[in-house]
Amino acid sequence: MADNFTDLFSAPLTFNWTLSYRCNFSCSHCYSRDEKVPELPTSDILRIVDILVEKQVPFINFGGGEPLIRDDLYEVAAYASQRGLNVSMNSNGWLLDRAAAQRLKDAGFKSVGLSIDSSCGASHDDFRNMPGAFERAVAALDALREVGLKSTMSSVISRINFQSFRELLQLAREHGVGQVYLHNFKCSGRGFKNREELDLTPEEWKAFYIEALAVKAASKDLLISFDDPVIASLPGYDENPLVKGSTCGKLSLNLRPNGDITPCGFIPVVVGNILTDDFDHLWYESPVLKKMRSKEAQGKCAGCGAFEDCLGGCTARSFATTGDFDQPDPHCWK
Amino acid sequence: MKPLLRIPDIVWRVEKRREAETLDALERGEDVAERGTVILIISGMMHQLNLVGGMIWSRCDGSRTEQQIIEEMAAEFDVDLTVLADDVHEFIADLLQRGWLTHG
Repeated sequence: MADNFTDLFSAPLTFNWTLSYRCNFSCSHCYSRDEKVPELPTSDILRIVDILVEKQVPFINFGGGEPLIRDDLYEVAAYASQRGLNVSMNSNGWLLDRAAAQRLKDAGFKSVGLSIDSSCGASHDDFRNMPGAFERAVAALDALREVGLKSTMSSVISRINFQSFRELLQLAREHGVGQVYLHNFKCSGRGFKNREELDLTPEEWKAFYIEALAVKAASKDLLISFDDPVIASLPGYDENPLVKGSTCGKLSLNLRPNGDITPCGFIPVVVGNILTDDFDHLWYESPVLKKMRSKEAQGKCAGCGAFEDCLGGCTARSFATTGDFDQPDPHCWK
Repeated sequence: MKPLLRIPDIVWRVEKRREAETLDALERGEDVAERGTVILIISGMMHQLNLVGGMIWSRCDGSRTEQQIIEEMAAEFDVDLTVLADDVHEFIADLLQRGWLTHG
């Protein structure tokens, strides 16, 4: 498997890039709230953009922390988009008023994602530990629509919304959102500490995905996306992803605020630094990335007929709960 | 005939290491028709173009007509011009039909 990827791909398609772990929110599931690493000056961030351009990485997505916390976000995004990168971001929306939306558009953003976890304002505010968060997030969607910048919505599926996700989709429709990401719950950071309270059981995940996939198939006016490789083990699942299993380390990598590279934001294992290490060497030779691209069936995955499609599910969840990439995804219902 | 232009929304890149390996294989006389050297991401799906397809695609930047592309390719490959022209025409016609290229 490793050879197949690196035989063709010379770099990931997407870098998920955290410019800062600082955030104006304190969410119950946050993977990064307790992370503390030095941030880079703008000049180094622009150097990273140059490296990504040289390596022909087509997409960057700013996450966080809250990306709008950094004043130079607009400058960095403008530079990246001028150099041909497709730039997007995810935000909690608190700082995204109409003026900010216009600046994001002027900076060349292709799309901006808003994190909204419930169509019930009180529930969203409680989950995000921020009174008024829902109102500002919805207003941010409207601001993006007013300036003509494409918006998406990201919702982390958890106990607060798995039975009411249709209302989230309706909220998206009402505010001009073109695509909704129903993210699987990750057991990282606070998500790990609070997982007993927030995570679903494997059987609940199975029921959720069966229902959500049916809704997706019937939805013609809204694109609904999932990022959970464990879905591939559902009987009759016939979508054809670019790669099987987790995309992390294959199609995407994660950049931390100091330039360190990890396979994804939810796997805190540093494979190197983009400013100080040779990227090609990391991409082709990193033992961590090789391991992620060459998973071996362990535990109940061994002998499971679905393994060749799901490759053990979400590697981040397996690693968070067992310390081993190859162990079965704890969300697996088989 | 107007120049050929790639649809701007299509994200693509030349996989340089793969391209170099494929050129080496071609030098050795190996069949490289099935080896992808350019990837295209279209509506979340990935497509691969082989060496010749990738070279044609890379040239569809709005500055060259089909005839000009054929002439440039003929200078790079030691092949029968009629065969090359037919192959390039067929490939471009397919991409035009898919909506991946336009006459800019």
